[in-house]
Amino acid sequence: MTEFAIETEGLTKVFTSRWPKRELRAVDNISIRVPRGCTFGLLGPNGAGKTTFVKMLLSCAHPTAGRAKVFGKDSQDPEARRPIGYLPENHRFPTYMTGWGMLDFYGALSGMSSELRKKRIPELLNVVGLDERAHHLRLGKYSKGMLQRVGLAQALMHSPRLLVLDEPSDGVDPVGRKHIRDVLQGLEQQGVTIFLNSHLLAEVELFCREVAIIQRGKMALSGTVASLTSGSGYRVEAVGVPEQIETELRGKARSFRSSDGTLQLLFATRQEANAAVDLLRGSNCELEALSRTRSTLEEVFMKTIDGPPPLPEFSK
Amino acid sequence: MTATIALIWDTFREAFARKIFWGFFGCCTALMLFLVFIMRVDVVQGALATVSIFGNSLPSTNVQNLVQQTQGVIAGILYYAGMALAVFASAGLVSAVFEPGRIELLLSKPVSRTHLLLGRYAGNVLVVSANILYLVLGSWIIFGVKTGVWGAGFLLSGLCTIFIFSVLLAVIVLIGVLLDSSAVAIMVTFAIMIVTPILAQKATLERLLSAEWSRDILRALYYALPKIWDVRGITQSLILNKPVESWMPVWSTAIFGAVVLGIGIWRFQKRTY
Repeated sequence: MTEFAIETEGLTKVFTSRWPKRELRAVDNISIRVPRGCTFGLLGPNGAGKTTFVKMLLSCAHPTAGRAKVFGKDSQDPEARRPIGYLPENHRFPTYMTGWGMLDFYGALSGMSSELRKKRIPELLNVVGLDERAHHLRLGKYSKGMLQRVGLAQALMHSPRLLVLDEPSDGVDPVGRKHIRDVLQGLEQQGVTIFLNSHLLAEVELFCREVAIIQRGKMALSGTVASLTSGSGYRVEAVGVPEQIETELRGKARSFRSSDGTLQLLFATRQEANAAVDLLRGSNCELEALSRTRSTLEEVFMKTIDGPPPLPEFSK
Repeated sequence: MTATIALIWDTFREAFARKIFWGFFGCCTALMLFLVFIMRVDVVQGALATVSIFGNSLPSTNVQNLVQQTQGVIAGILYYAGMALAVFASAGLVSAVFEPGRIELLLSKPVSRTHLLLGRYAGNVLVVSANILYLVLGSWIIFGVKTGVWGAGFLLSGLCTIFIFSVLLAVIVLIGVLLDSSAVAIMVTFAIMIVTPILAQKATLERLLSAEWSRDILRALYYALPKIWDVRGITQSLILNKPVESWMPVWSTAIFGAVVLGIGIWRFQKRTY
């Protein structure tokens, strides 16, 4: 039994138009391994190739080169899709169906028996927070948030081992978003692998253990959220700093801020921070604070996409 | 099997929701009510009958001929007008499946693309078949009860109509897969419905064409395309209990449908959504 829920090797998708002759490398040689039970976030700016990557996992798009495996099975094999629950981003659920009917239809396509579907549908509709009235309401009457919820229920219908979610909280109010996050956390605890494709970086940071950032179809960065967001610098805060020392430290710091007699400095390395502390203590200044700063996932993302961002805390 | 039933039932639900099914059902019911209440058939002396419509009597005729001719008219209406309506309605049912946001979800399920497409195709054929059989069977019973004539030819004509519709639906599926356009699918299918009766006059047209190559093209088109007119002739023969001269139009049309559907499936498997 493979230890990875998703494995891709050199996955590439090139879109070509015959006239005029053009090529677009939407996904370029991406290799990813998502361990079983992991919560994985795929990030990237619009048009980076995230959705094309997901579509190749689901065999909606055929790779130009490379291959994708789901729980060890080639993604082109329909059986590879049996353990997958999927919620697309711009879904268009048939409006003539009711919430109940939709779950029944997609459950049947997933191979569930009629008895099992009858048992599972009310459970799931309640789990995603749709009340009894909504069960038999046509999807055409649903709000955007309700559609997202019923879409999530659809993805969970056959108790998948891998959940692929494309912008799951799109159009959902903050309460609903929290509700969806709670549902996903419950699934994570049950060992379900969750592959999240989202623009909401704060949400990904809160929820995912690992992330990959792709840009222009290529892998730009990947790793655990903890490792990517840790240790961007060191913050030193002191009071009563003589002007001469302050001027010297300003020249060495990546950024600084001075107000109400307190000097805040940000250093890139531990050595620089230690040297600053030595200098401040040698000048009998009082240290107010000394801490390691942590980047947000948004900062990591912006840095990866655009290069080093301007320091957000202070100005130089 | 669960997936197949789900796909077929989904097509029915969509046909119900789009009022397609009920539209056909209403038309068929109206025609049968006409036969029940407006057309009065009086069988006189066993073999002769008088028929009156809106109270106006037509000359007495042989009851067998009367029933067969009326059934022939109904089959003709069903064959062309009904078929045109069915094509018009079905094009939307096929292309709806390929809509972005809907197709991805279908493809993400553990069902092969061939299975998905054939399931939808079968559902569509069954939606139209249900109405055709309702009309044909209903009319057959009405005629049987009113006149005592129970010929099976009229029932077979229903099957011929379903057969031609399933061939034309294959064209709709292929265009839907290639172009995602129900409008183009309707245009191409109607073009086939218009052109093939002209091609069926092959013998006359050959005499009018002077160049041998143009006659070759005519023959090639005749044999390659479905023979809607010729199959209609077979349908009429069945109703009138006449012997069928050649079944070639049926099997060559079946081959056309199978090839077109095969290409549709092949293209669907290759497509990126």
